[in-house]
Amino acid sequence: MDLINANLANIWLLIIGFFLLYYTLTDGADLGIGILTLFMRDQEEKNAMMQSIHTIWHGNQTWLVILGGMLFGAFPLFYSIVLSALYIPFILMLFGFIFRGVAFEFHAHARGWGKMFWLLSFGLGSFIATLGQGFALGGLMGGIAVQADSFAGKPTDWMNWYSAVAALGVVCGYLMLGSGYLIARTTGRLQQWSYSAARLAGGLTIIVSAAVYVGTSIRHAEMAAKWTAWPPSPVYFFAILTIIACVRYFRSLHQQKRLAPLIWNWLIIILSFTGLSIGLYPEMIPSMDSAPLTVQDVAASETTLRFMLVVMAVLLPIILIYTSYNYWIFRNKKEGEGYAGG
Amino acid sequence: MELFSDHIFLSRLHFAFTAIFHIIWPVLTIGLSLFLVVLEARWLMTRELRYYNHARFWMRLFLLNFAVGVVSGIPMEFQFGTNWSAFSRAGGDIFGHLLGFEASMAFMLEASFLGIMAFGWKRVSPGMHFFSTCMVALGGSLSAFWIMAANSWMQTPVGGEFVNNKFLLTDIYAAIWNPDTFWGITHMWLACLEISLFVIGGISAWYLWRGRYPDFFLTSFKMMLAAAVLITPLQVVIGHGAGKSVTHHQPVKLAAMEAHWQTNPEGQGAAWNILAWPDKKIQDNVWTVSLPYALSLITTESLTGQVKGLREVPVEDQPPLLLTFYGFRVMLVLGGLMVLLMLWSLWLWKKGELTAERVGRHKWMLFGWMAAVPLSYLAMEAGWVVREVGRQPWVIQGVLRTSDGVSPLPTETVAASLLGFVAIYLLLFVVFIFFVWRLLKKGPDFSLNP
Repeated sequence: MDLINANLANIWLLIIGFFLLYYTLTDGADLGIGILTLFMRDQEEKNAMMQSIHTIWHGNQTWLVILGGMLFGAFPLFYSIVLSALYIPFILMLFGFIFRGVAFEFHAHARGWGKMFWLLSFGLGSFIATLGQGFALGGLMGGIAVQADSFAGKPTDWMNWYSAVAALGVVCGYLMLGSGYLIARTTGRLQQWSYSAARLAGGLTIIVSAAVYVGTSIRHAEMAAKWTAWPPSPVYFFAILTIIACVRYFRSLHQQKRLAPLIWNWLIIILSFTGLSIGLYPEMIPSMDSAPLTVQDVAASETTLRFMLVVMAVLLPIILIYTSYNYWIFRNKKEGEGYAGG
Repeated sequence: MELFSDHIFLSRLHFAFTAIFHIIWPVLTIGLSLFLVVLEARWLMTRELRYYNHARFWMRLFLLNFAVGVVSGIPMEFQFGTNWSAFSRAGGDIFGHLLGFEASMAFMLEASFLGIMAFGWKRVSPGMHFFSTCMVALGGSLSAFWIMAANSWMQTPVGGEFVNNKFLLTDIYAAIWNPDTFWGITHMWLACLEISLFVIGGISAWYLWRGRYPDFFLTSFKMMLAAAVLITPLQVVIGHGAGKSVTHHQPVKLAAMEAHWQTNPEGQGAAWNILAWPDKKIQDNVWTVSLPYALSLITTESLTGQVKGLREVPVEDQPPLLLTFYGFRVMLVLGGLMVLLMLWSLWLWKKGELTAERVGRHKWMLFGWMAAVPLSYLAMEAGWVVREVGRQPWVIQGVLRTSDGVSPLPTETVAASLLGFVAIYLLLFVVFIFFVWRLLKKGPDFSLNP
C-alpha cells in the first residue's frame, strides 16, 4: 500500500498512457480509414470503408473522452495549460470530430448528392481531427511557455516546422493503422488496394519518423542525449525493437498476410510510444525557456488520485469486458447491415 | 458592441452557446432510452407486434438525436481546458474526475451497448438485446448524475478547502453529495423525462392529427400520458424543493430570481413579485405587480419568514437580473401550461375520446401537444439560464469569479472558434430537422419483423 501511495501520480501517468495508447491503436485506425477514403474514387468502395468501422468507431472515440476527463481529474494543471496553449489545434480536432461523427448517421439518411457530401465529411473530418491531434502533439513536444502555472505564450506558438513534421507523422501513422485494419477486414479489390496503401504509408512513416528524430535532437538535445548515451538507456533498446518490428511489418505486407501487418503495426506504435515516453519522463510539459513541469508538479491532490484509483480498479476491467464483447458480437461482417437498416 | 471585443464576455458566450445547444440532445437521449426499455419490455412480455414496431420506430429518432448529442458533447469536455483554464486549475481536484467518471462509468457504457441496440437485432438473443437497451438507458441517466454532481458542486462548493484560490479535496463524498446535488439531479432528470414525453406526445399527436396510423400512435400517446400523470406532479414537488434549497444555500440567486431587493424586517412578510422591472442602477424595481406575503410563504412556509434581499450584497456581487428574473418566469409559465395540457388530455381520455375514430376531432388538444415540443425545450433552457446566470458573478459560488476563470486568450481566437461553432451547429440543426421531417413523413416501417 505504501508503494502505491508514494507513487500515485506515476501510477496515474501509466493509466493515462494506457488510455492514450489504446485510443491511438483503435481510433487511430478509424481516422486513418477516414483519410484513406479521400484517396478512393469509387463511391461504393468509399462506403464499404466507412461501414467497416460503423459499429466500433464510437466506442473507440470514447477512449479519448475518458482520457480527457481522467487527465483533467488526475493532472488538472496539465489539462488546463496544454488545452489553453494548444487552443487552435484542439478546436480543429473538435471540429473534425463533429464532421466525422455525424457522417455515419447522416449518411444513412441522405440520398443522392447528400450521400457524397457526408462521405466527404467523414473523410475531411477525419483528416482535420488527425491534423489537430498531430499539431497538438508537436506543439506539446516542442515546448510550451508557462508562467505562474498558466500559459504565457501566444495561441500560434505551435505553428512551426517541428509541429508540422509531427502532424505529418501522426497522419502517416494513422494511415498505416487504417490500411492495416482494412486489410484484416476486407477482401478482393479493396484489400489489394489497402496492401498498396499500407506499403506507401509505412514508407512515408519511416521517412517522417526520421525527420521527427532529427527535429527532436535539434530542439531537445537532452532527450536525444538519452537516446545515444552509453551504456545504452532503455530508450535505445525500444528503438532497436521498433526497427525489428518495422522490418517484420513490411515482410508481412509482402507475404500478403491478413492479420500480421496490423499486429506488427501495433507493436511499432507501442514500442515507439514507450520509448518516447521514457525519453520525456518525468517531464509532462517541456518548456523552451523556463523549467519544465514534471509529473508531480501537475498532479491533483493525493486524496483525489487515491479515490480515482480505487474507482478505476473496479471500472477498467468491466469496461474491457464489455468493449471486448462488443467487438466479438460484430466480429464478422454481415451483408446489408448498416446504419439505416439493422 | 464593446462587449464583443472582451474575451471574457466572448468566452462566456462561447460556453453558453455550446452548452445551450448541447443540452438539447442528451435530454431526449435520457428519456427516450427509458421509453425504449419500456417498449422492449412490453414486447418481450406480451409478444404484441405493435410494441416491437414502436421500438423500431422510436429507435430511428433516438439514433439521429444521439449522433448530434455525441459530437456536440465532446467539445464541452475539452472546453473547460481550452477556454476556462484558470477554472480548471482552481476546481480540477474535484471537477475533473467527476467528468472522468461520467466518461468511463456512463458514456462508455452507452457507447458500447448502443452498437448492439442499434445494429444487433439479428445478432444477439432478444434477452441480450433488451439488456443492451437497459445499459444504454442506464448510461444516459448515470451520465446525467455525474454532470449534475459536477455542476452542483459549482453552486455549493463543499468537501474541501480553497488554498491560494485552488480547491484541495478532503471529503469526496461531501463534495459529490453537496447540498445542491439531490435537487439538481432530480430536477434535471425529471425534466429529461418530461421533455421526452412531450416529444413522444407531440409526434404521436402529429400522426393523430393527420389521421395516419391512429391505432398505432394512440398506443404511444396513451403510454406517454400515463407516464406524464406520474412525473409532472412529481416535478412540481421537486421544483419547489429545489427553490427552497436555493433560498437556503444561494440566497442572492433567489433574490435575483424574484427581484427581491430589501430583506423583510422581523414580523413583516416579503411580497412575491409576479412581474417586475428590476434596475441595478437604482437598486430597486421600476415597477412591480406583487402579491403580499407570498414570497415568505413559498420559500419559508411562514407568512413572515425572512427572505434575504439583493441589497445585502454589493452591486458587483449581484447577478444579471433580467435574465434570471424572466428566465424563471418563462420556466414557470411553460411548466404550468404543460400541466394543464396534460390534465385536459387526461379528461378527454376519461370521457372516452381517445379512440381512433374520435381523437382526430380534438384538433386543439393535438395542436397543444405539437406546440409543447419546442416549448418544453424552451422551459428547460430557461431553467438552465436561471441556474447559471443566477450564480454570476461567480463561476464557483462565492469563491472564484467567472472573470477570473477564463483562459488567457486573445479576443480574435475566441471569436473565431465561437463563429465556427455557431456555423457548424446551425448546419447540424438544420440537417437534423430535415432528416427527422423525412423520417416522420415516411412513418413507421411495418415490414420489419423480429
